[in-house]
Amino acid sequence: MKVKPVNHAKAAEEFLEDAPHLTFHDERLWDMRQKRDQQMHLLPEWQDLRTRASEIKEHTLANLPEYLEQFEANAKKNGIHVHWAADGAEHNRIVGEILEKHGAKSLIKSKSMVTEECDMRAYLEPRGVTVTETDLGERIQQLDDQLPSHIVVPAVHKLVPDVAKIFAKNYHTDPNDNDPQSLAEAQRMAARPVILTADAGMTGGNFLVAETGTFVVCTNEGNADLSSTVPNLHIATLGIERLVPRMADLGVFVRLLSRSALGSPITQYTTHFRGPQKGGEMHIILVDNGRSTRLGMEEFWTSLKCIRCGACMNTCPVYRRSGGLSYGAVYSGPIGAIIDPTFNERKYSTLPFASTMNGSCTNVCPVKINIHEQLYKWRRVLAEHHELPFVKREIMHMAGKLMGQPKLYRTAINGTEVALSTMPRFVLYNWLNPWGKHRELPHPVKQTFHSWYKQNRLKKDKAQ
Amino acid sequence: MSSRDTILATLRANRPDPAAHPLPPVAMLGDMDKGRDRFENSLQILGGQILMPQEGDTLATAIARRFPDAKVICSAVPDFEGTIRIEEIESPQQAAATDVLVVRSPFGIAEMGSIYLSEAQLNNLNSAAHLTQHIVVILSEENLTANMHTAYLERPEFHTANYGVLMSGPSATADIQGVLIRGAQGVRSLSIWWE
Repeated sequence: MKVKPVNHAKAAEEFLEDAPHLTFHDERLWDMRQKRDQQMHLLPEWQDLRTRASEIKEHTLANLPEYLEQFEANAKKNGIHVHWAADGAEHNRIVGEILEKHGAKSLIKSKSMVTEECDMRAYLEPRGVTVTETDLGERIQQLDDQLPSHIVVPAVHKLVPDVAKIFAKNYHTDPNDNDPQSLAEAQRMAARPVILTADAGMTGGNFLVAETGTFVVCTNEGNADLSSTVPNLHIATLGIERLVPRMADLGVFVRLLSRSALGSPITQYTTHFRGPQKGGEMHIILVDNGRSTRLGMEEFWTSLKCIRCGACMNTCPVYRRSGGLSYGAVYSGPIGAIIDPTFNERKYSTLPFASTMNGSCTNVCPVKINIHEQLYKWRRVLAEHHELPFVKREIMHMAGKLMGQPKLYRTAINGTEVALSTMPRFVLYNWLNPWGKHRELPHPVKQTFHSWYKQNRLKKDKAQ
Repeated sequence: MSSRDTILATLRANRPDPAAHPLPPVAMLGDMDKGRDRFENSLQILGGQILMPQEGDTLATAIARRFPDAKVICSAVPDFEGTIRIEEIESPQQAAATDVLVVRSPFGIAEMGSIYLSEAQLNNLNSAAHLTQHIVVILSEENLTANMHTAYLERPEFHTANYGVLMSGPSATADIQGVLIRGAQGVRSLSIWWE
């Protein structure tokens, strides 16, 4: 059976109907974008940092096999068990085997987009492993059985009453609790005993350092450090693109990451793991899951530079007004729209169209990924691969014909003006015109530029 | 072929031309001020505090004043007593009862107000730094470095410690409707004691 494309527009429409959620979501993300700008203006070297970050990442990607081998050798030397996973299934199998070997039945974990990519919880839970997300936002999403809606703030689409309801059901707190402080405290109190009795801990990671075999985890809540230091078994999962060559390169990225993400100078915790703690065991799983193939896509390989800060999401007018869940994918927003089609071209064929092409994503990207250009390039690829929806395809087809023939175009444009002023609403606003769903069509102009030019300039030009 | 070899072979076949992407020199950018004022300003932005001595104060009296209800005060430094020494704590479960942990950090970063801790400062009980309710960090002005570039270049700890954390203020979250809460799941407060 052919997989159906995600109906982003329809999901966004549902999101748009809920005014309080929409308004908060839009304003919260825009606030994060503004805080990022404030940080940027404090650093005269900001653009140099971006250029440097981009160059380091491009160099690393071009030399990825060598750096991965160097990382592996150093990590092993430090006593870390290094595993390689070609895809999500292999990743989950590896985690399952490590846990089984230790008889581990409860796993506490901090946020990791890669484990979401691999759908790891769904694999482990039927095998008798209780997986507890310890990041507050991620835990809210786990209890509500939803994907994270944002890569940095997973529950950003929810309001206090939503969280109160979820916690009441699971933590037996007051369903009418309207105080974020006491709800956060409820999470702390619920998580502590689980953390203290867990058999194993798991984290994601932001960077791998080839030079030292170190991996780095940047977080705010302290849950990742608890998850990695309380149990004696620590498993870390990272995508193979997370490498930097030298320890000193981290300076560039740590200075950019949280400033771009939240507008804070640095995350509260920046943790460097170079080997197991005393008496402990440490595993790292290097996950490919499509990345090595993406490296060969001439127009899209630079998307692998991404450091998952979410700045492109915060600035995107479409994302802010449609919500992360409407993308129907692990990665949402502009960065999601250019990497999701590499996972499944048909399923995510609609996502590169969820953009106004304003280019803001590219401007805020700390590693200078040309996101909006890749969105455009994906549209072309999808059209060539016949993955355009019917209405879009037909409209493009007609537009192509019109634009190619000046006479026909002019007649049509004049016709449009007449149509806009005389046709009844049901003819103008229907399923063939999704643009008009939440907007009024522009007022018809009295005269087109072409006819004005013909009347005024052309005569004069001829007279001269 | 193992997954490792398959991944590496695919990367070799697919990668862009390495010659077109040389490695830039190590970056050394931005403000090189490593002064105490800059550190304190940055610390305050991230929610950290300065434990200010009053006339005739010792660390012990300052802690008693700041944390009057603390029952278990754990010391990880030789020159402060507390109610229990970190060497006496045998497990994370036992460490979870700590109200205040007193540690000495080998260095701080002025740009961020960050302090560094590794297993060397925590007697290999790394979880103690996160299970305690509050942490008091002894820091010397002489051990401040200017920014992230200088920290990674100058400090040998990044190449030797198995576990090394930069703590920048206390734990925090803004995951519920964007409201910033200091004291999420790790320490509820982080205070600096200058020595």
